[in-house]
Amino acid sequence: MRDLIDLWIGIQTWLFETFVSPVLFHFNLMEWFEPGFNAVEIFMLGVVQITIIVLGMRMLERRWPLEADGDERLVGVDRVYTILSKLGIVPLIVFIVAYPITTQVELLVRTWGFVPPRLERLVPWLYDNALASFLVYFALYDFAAYWVHRAQHRFSWWWALHSLHHSQRRMTVWSDDRNHILDDLLVTIVLVVFAQFVGVQPDDYILILVIGRLIESWSHANVDMSFGRIGQKLIVGPRFHRLHHALAGPDETHIHDHNFAPVLPIWDILFGTAIYDGKHRPTGVSDPAIDADNGRSWPAQQVTVFGRFVRALAPRFSRSSVQPGLRPPAE
Amino acid sequence: MIAALAVGMGAATAAQADGVIILNSEEASYSIVSRTARTELGRQPLGREPHHMIVTPDGKEILIASTVTNELVALDAKTGEKKRVVRDIIDPYQLGYSPNGAWFVTAAYRLDHIDVYHGDSFKLASRIFMDGMPSHMAFDAESKTVFVTLQQSGRVTAIDLGTQLIKWNAEIGKAPAGAVMLPDNKRLLVALTGEDAIVTMDASNGAVIGRLQTGRGAHNFWPKGDGRHWFLSNRVEGTVSLIDTAEMKVVGSVRIPGGPDCMDITPDGKELWVTQRFLRRVAIVDIAQMKVIGSVHVGKSPHGVFILRGTGSGLPPPPSPLRAASIEGDRK
Ligand SMILES: [Zn+2]
Repeated sequence: MRDLIDLWIGIQTWLFETFVSPVLFHFNLMEWFEPGFNAVEIFMLGVVQITIIVLGMRMLERRWPLEADGDERLVGVDRVYTILSKLGIVPLIVFIVAYPITTQVELLVRTWGFVPPRLERLVPWLYDNALASFLVYFALYDFAAYWVHRAQHRFSWWWALHSLHHSQRRMTVWSDDRNHILDDLLVTIVLVVFAQFVGVQPDDYILILVIGRLIESWSHANVDMSFGRIGQKLIVGPRFHRLHHALAGPDETHIHDHNFAPVLPIWDILFGTAIYDGKHRPTGVSDPAIDADNGRSWPAQQVTVFGRFVRALAPRFSRSSVQPGLRPPAE
Repeated sequence: MIAALAVGMGAATAAQADGVIILNSEEASYSIVSRTARTELGRQPLGREPHHMIVTPDGKEILIASTVTNELVALDAKTGEKKRVVRDIIDPYQLGYSPNGAWFVTAAYRLDHIDVYHGDSFKLASRIFMDGMPSHMAFDAESKTVFVTLQQSGRVTAIDLGTQLIKWNAEIGKAPAGAVMLPDNKRLLVALTGEDAIVTMDASNGAVIGRLQTGRGAHNFWPKGDGRHWFLSNRVEGTVSLIDTAEMKVVGSVRIPGGPDCMDITPDGKELWVTQRFLRRVAIVDIAQMKVIGSVHVGKSPHGVFILRGTGSGLPPPPSPLRAASIEGDRK
């Protein structure tokens, strides 16, 4: 294990000293020396995640597809999202915009003398149990992410962005990162501020993201699988999450307002939004204006969805294509 | 990150007489390493983002500054045993005592202020807001002035300790970090982390009077203990230079990969311990040969290092007054 860690850090140090450190030094960004080093690890973890998706998850998808036929061409753009997101390109842009905001919040709160609570102070037992401590923070983070997700569905302007994620008719392991960059930004700001308040360590934060997002990639897979009778109540799997992406029909107009949980279904169970019926439903969004995302490229989606967001915020910019009443559903 | 899970936060391990304390700045813990066995004995949880530590003027305690939790954790300087916690010290990134112990100063790197406390009581005398990420500090011999480097604004400022007024504030180069007042009490050395050099300043007025090329990312000093030679870590270059301050030239160099940062010397003067931030290790350098003779695994982003001055392990006589002064003043 130690050799493995040394190898990992060795690669990270080499990448950093070869590519990142000279750039930071040249542009006199030495206060970013340590964060830059950590960014290299995020990139490396992205490579690992993509490898797991390609070699592991895709194999299962090919072997046991739920929807055997469907337009494969729709998947291409999701691959672009996954690569831009996992290799840190989108996160870097998000970070550059979000950092001054979250830092301002952090420094303001610190100036007031507020010290983020560490659970370990309340439960000293956690000090000696890194795994338990990690799981507690993971659950807290997932809880916050659940409520952010509900807000994405609740507010029409936020749904205008988040509906891009739902518009995919051909859901696969690549679909998780299909988000508007502004949506990524909003979610990041809220969750980073939350993490600062409850005292999630930066290191835990990265691990929470990596593990969480990997499970979420899998929960979008084109398979009819779960983690078993009990497991499906503990961890979100493809069967559970597919229902969240279900196409609303005349009988089930709010079907996608269920199974919000990113990783832990307990939140849906507790707050009454869980459905375990195992039915197969087609995925996507019935609003034709949103369904039109399918077939668009990454830049085209970013532009048109931004337009959708602006019109949702300021209805006077609205064109006839967005019909009031079709969206958003009341929760 | 993976290491955090693999190693786990060590079981309670008491520091031993030959212990070395290493602050794992991104792991909210400190490691206790056996100096002689060159192995990590255990890890203790500590606040959040602990970066630096110093010994108290009486030599009895080590104060570890936990930046995010706004506190100082005091350990027994001989045994490493936890003694007490001083709270409401805001964002203590760097910290130092004036040589006479009358003043205790902290630099709030994130919150942009320099705090001057009364050394005996931790009672705040003055908070001086100063943009540009105040980082390292040095004191003059009379305990009248503290010099603080401002890493982001490229400046060094001198503050009168008695009045807490700014004496001078001079722009000197990119990302000034480590600072050391030489025994002549006239020359102030400052390392430029954004460049590959250190500058000599006139401590009385802040004028730059000399420059010495060392290595890229010149960052932090540590005294060799003879009043003449100082070690300097070059973070980008990955080296430690040995500087002769009488001749003002580099007289030795050793390659330390992984962003070398803080240093300490064993009481026998034979070994230099250097934290390797990126590699999660501490390198041990044989000073006579300027050669790495060992490296110990510790936690994530190890920053401050302190070698306990324990008793009963064949240690040499206590440090000279000069060395004691530099421990108080220059510990980064
Ligand atoms: Zn959704």
